[in-house]
Amino acid sequence: MDILNPFQIALSLLTSGHAELMGIIGLSLTVSLTAVLVSLVIGLPMGALLATYRFPGRTALIVVSNTFLGMPPVVIGLLIYLLISRSGPLGFMGILYTPAAMMLAQTVLVLPISIALSRQAFESLNGEYALLFQSLGLGRLARIKALVFEARVALLTIGLACFGRAISEVGAVMIVGGNIRHSTRVMTTSIALATSMGELAFAMALGIVLLLVALTINIASQLLRHSFRNLGHDI
Amino acid sequence: MTSDHSSADIIMTARDLILRRDGVTLLESVSAQIRRGSITLLLGHNGAGKTLLMNCLHGLITCDAGTINGPSLACQKMVFQKPVITRRTTVGHLRFLCPQLDAAARHDWLRRAEMDRRADAPARMLSGGEQQKLALIGALAAGPDILFLDEPTAHLDFAATKFVETMVREAHEQGMTIVMTSHNRAQAERLGEDVLLLDGGRLVETAPADRFFSAPSHPLAKQYLDHL
Repeated sequence: MDILNPFQIALSLLTSGHAELMGIIGLSLTVSLTAVLVSLVIGLPMGALLATYRFPGRTALIVVSNTFLGMPPVVIGLLIYLLISRSGPLGFMGILYTPAAMMLAQTVLVLPISIALSRQAFESLNGEYALLFQSLGLGRLARIKALVFEARVALLTIGLACFGRAISEVGAVMIVGGNIRHSTRVMTTSIALATSMGELAFAMALGIVLLLVALTINIASQLLRHSFRNLGHDI
Repeated sequence: MTSDHSSADIIMTARDLILRRDGVTLLESVSAQIRRGSITLLLGHNGAGKTLLMNCLHGLITCDAGTINGPSLACQKMVFQKPVITRRTTVGHLRFLCPQLDAAARHDWLRRAEMDRRADAPARMLSGGEQQKLALIGALAAGPDILFLDEPTAHLDFAATKFVETMVREAHEQGMTIVMTSHNRAQAERLGEDVLLLDGGRLVETAPADRFFSAPSHPLAKQYLDHL
């Protein structure tokens, strides 16, 4: 295989606006960004709560969350499959082999990252601000709100970490999405399929596209971080 | 400060405060009264328990024993020795400290602190003195009944120290009660009305400032003034 061939294919696919490829990229981004968004909405307040308050069950929550951090995506895919398959407890939803199932699987996959990293960020900030918040008489909700605002740059990094995990994941979306063409096929499952079919150049091309997506998002985040640094954030 | 004042003159009373940590007694049966509208100085060597007592009075630390009667936390403010600054602009930090201020009032307070030109600068990029001034105006702007100042001029230059003292005097003239710590004798003599001297977590002397500085009664007070 000519080493430049995949790059040429990737370039021509991208520049020609290849409809199927664009559909795959669009679905990949939609599924992963939705999963990241949902995991941040749930994970950040949970991280803040775990960092700032002691309550019964807190340690158990941390242990479960940390356990899920190291859970292989295929196992999560299997669990979600069992939940949403026709005979499963959530089978009535009828979302198996749909993008919704893929979003659910990726959300479960990245939620522990969101909780663990935000807890870490909030613990550090809470140590810095605890006395001030107490002195100002801030209630529980106001403290969490203030902490989330103060941690906004760290949260950007957390969002990126979650996105990196979600967009690069293949096992879980393969199981619950089924890699159905024009329906649930995303970049990673396309790469797996193309490789198994011997279309290595196309697989490499998709890999390059995946890298380009990651690169673009990282550049955007660096620009954002630079503007935040001007607000006195320690990065 | 002393028991010869009527209860109406007293804004805060602490009785038999005891604070222990890891088997060590940090405050030992401290009882004190703060006169309404006074400037009360908490004096003592490093480690005497001044900041701890202030934190207890302000409600940041719960004592193991004893009672504190005074205004609610909403009517109190505290400026820490090392100001805690948020990751916001200067005006944004002021808004966070005192949300009830409108834009014009915020601008006015910043102008008084000669920081209006730095309103949109990141608060954490301000100098130490500017950050302390920002913390002070944030506390004063809320108009608390009682203001705690923990060594508010510890790391400040002459101009910033003068600003802090001017603001403290103004607040005092308007009737605000101020409790502060200081290691600066000249400043203590300039500002102080009542003195509480702590040593090793015990309150060893309570006296009007002029009497304390001219004729301290306790041997430890004399020793302390010799070193000050």
